[in-house]
Amino acid sequence: MAAVILPQHSSLYSVKTSLAPPARTASSSKIGVETGDFTILHSSKNGVTNDVQLRSILRNAQVKRCRMYSKVTAMLKRGGRKTPDKEYPWPQKMRPQDLIGSPLPFLSRFKPLPQKSKPVHLPFELPLVDIQKKIHEVRELADSTGMDFSMQLNELQEKYEEVRRDLYTHLSPIQRLSVARHPSRPTCLDHILTITDKWLELHGDRAGFDDPAIISGIGKIDGMSFMFIGHQKGRNTKENIYRNFAMPTPNGYRKALRMMQHAAHHGFPILTFVDTPGAYAGIQAEERGQGEAIARNLREMFGLRVPIITTVIGEGGSGGALAIGCCDKMLMLENSVYYVASPEACAAILWKKAAAAPKATEAMRITAHELMKMDIVDDVIPEPLGGAHSDPFTTSMNMKKVIMKHMHELLKVDPEPLLERRFAKFRKIGAHQEAVNLDPRMKRKMKPRDAPPEMGEPKLLTSSVRENLEFNLKAASTANPSE
Amino acid sequence: MLHIKFSKQNKSVCEERGNHLSMDSMERIEPSIDPNTWIPLDEDTISKDVLSFCDEESYENRLIRSQEKTGLPEAVQTGIGYSNGTLIAPGVMDFQFMGGSMGSAVGEKITRLIEYATQKLLPLVLVCASGGARMQEGTVSLMQMAKISSALHYYQVQKKLLYISILTYPTTGGVTASFGMLGDIIIAESKAYIAFAGKRVIEETLGQKVPDGFQLAEALFENGLLDLIVPRILIKGVLSEISDLYSSVPYKKN
Repeated sequence: MAAVILPQHSSLYSVKTSLAPPARTASSSKIGVETGDFTILHSSKNGVTNDVQLRSILRNAQVKRCRMYSKVTAMLKRGGRKTPDKEYPWPQKMRPQDLIGSPLPFLSRFKPLPQKSKPVHLPFELPLVDIQKKIHEVRELADSTGMDFSMQLNELQEKYEEVRRDLYTHLSPIQRLSVARHPSRPTCLDHILTITDKWLELHGDRAGFDDPAIISGIGKIDGMSFMFIGHQKGRNTKENIYRNFAMPTPNGYRKALRMMQHAAHHGFPILTFVDTPGAYAGIQAEERGQGEAIARNLREMFGLRVPIITTVIGEGGSGGALAIGCCDKMLMLENSVYYVASPEACAAILWKKAAAAPKATEAMRITAHELMKMDIVDDVIPEPLGGAHSDPFTTSMNMKKVIMKHMHELLKVDPEPLLERRFAKFRKIGAHQEAVNLDPRMKRKMKPRDAPPEMGEPKLLTSSVRENLEFNLKAASTANPSE
Repeated sequence: MLHIKFSKQNKSVCEERGNHLSMDSMERIEPSIDPNTWIPLDEDTISKDVLSFCDEESYENRLIRSQEKTGLPEAVQTGIGYSNGTLIAPGVMDFQFMGGSMGSAVGEKITRLIEYATQKLLPLVLVCASGGARMQEGTVSLMQMAKISSALHYYQVQKKLLYISILTYPTTGGVTASFGMLGDIIIAESKAYIAFAGKRVIEETLGQKVPDGFQLAEALFENGLLDLIVPRILIKGVLSEISDLYSSVPYKKN
């Protein structure tokens, strides 16, 4: 689409014409100019010739100088006028600072938000908000009257600190869940850009799509390159809609798989960041094979011959999170959660009413410390007082320290023992028991053994398999990392 | 109106419409395994109440009640047996036990079955029927998906053995997203409901009604997610033909 800017005319000459061919197409057929102002004149899509037409027509109009008032109306294309996005796909305009140093920051489309978002207060933080208001009032009073209120201010400030410390050191699971879902919680890219020295984002699943809900790329930490993959939430509503609220479609999981296989091929250890309410539940997603994409990721991740560390930075929603979360070490931020079904869904199904969500949150044991007790999570990363959203930089630095500590351990392990350790980590998760003297009534619908004794004893067969397996597990888990 | 006796004679398939009604696991194993060749595995493995979960009823009580009602200790039966002369390792899930939900015991039994099949180089057949992961066991049941997939990785990718998954009515949630869709050959029964997210969840997310027949086996077949849709009467024969085809590969040197 060509654009022509007309200079301001005081006289009222305008051209009535249709610059489109007589056969009206669906796209904009009438181009117009409103008189008297600067207007941007768009020619139709039909090509260059229209410019020439336009110029000749205008020339004619000027020559004629008659009272030919032809009003040309601009008919907007269906869907509105499309302003080309200057930042898409890459920033079009280079500024001088883009030319100094590394070119990588120029390619990174993820920039700090132009406006600082309004601070959002969670329901349990209301006492803090009250004290903050009081401090504000006292300060205003001090300013307006000139009297000295410093003692009261100090008291109030101390009280604020105390209440804050009290609140945040004793968070209940429901409060941790609301912190994990906080709208200002730092996202995957926020963390990545803080902890990496260099960052190059890579795109696409090479099969027709580039899911915005999953971020992938290569970065350098402490002189070593890693592959980063994670769910990306938006920092405001507009971004959230673009990122689909970090709910990936099958295309996203296939993109993640391609990146992980690429990383294993070249030797990049993989760092994944989980922050999703779950996989996207939509018609297209189901048709493209959402279940299959997740299943394939689960299986393939156990064959990648590079260390994988997963960090849950927000909420970990069931299969959608596990599809990039089959790892050698699982880390969680202190206030993050990892659940098999969201507390709301669980409440609706088991308690039959959505209002029971707090009870479900307590019962399902979804917080980091509880999961560490169940031996699912290997380490919990402390967050600064006030949650990650109050001090993103410290959170990212804490995360970097813990990740690198575990990474240094894993880098010393050879590929085969590494894979065996990964199997062993998940093999031991399970709360089952061998029932002693199970009431035969409880087994009446099981098909009993009817094979002749020559076929072998099932107990012996399975136990020998299990012995073998236990031996392998023991060997894998006690394998000296320095070997 | 379908008489139970006639229906069971016909393998629970309605003659008129060809609708496959749901079958419990015993009824599936009986006809598929040659007589006097069945050895069950892990009959006594049951779940533990790891979270001390209590919604309207404690998880322990729910387990005991389901066990008494259905006569099964857990939602899956595993074992080995001959089928048309080939020794196979089938695992059959049962929807009647707590909606076929996949908990620790189901995960453990299936993983042990896969490990056994790996050791003895047997073809694996898993019949899936599940409502998803067992919420009463929390994240532990989520990790069962990863556990089974890791065992399948060793079985399929490293040992290159054959795994056939049979998806029946209904197969949803965690099972579809782990071993259900990982078969070398995926067979579905006619009009089986196979989904990842349930119909209600999709309707709530999108705010619009879902088209009829959207997540049925036929629709998945059109979208290229299944290999075969096989009527119930033919399953045994088809399985033995498939294992015959796979065992007659001439180029084993790869």
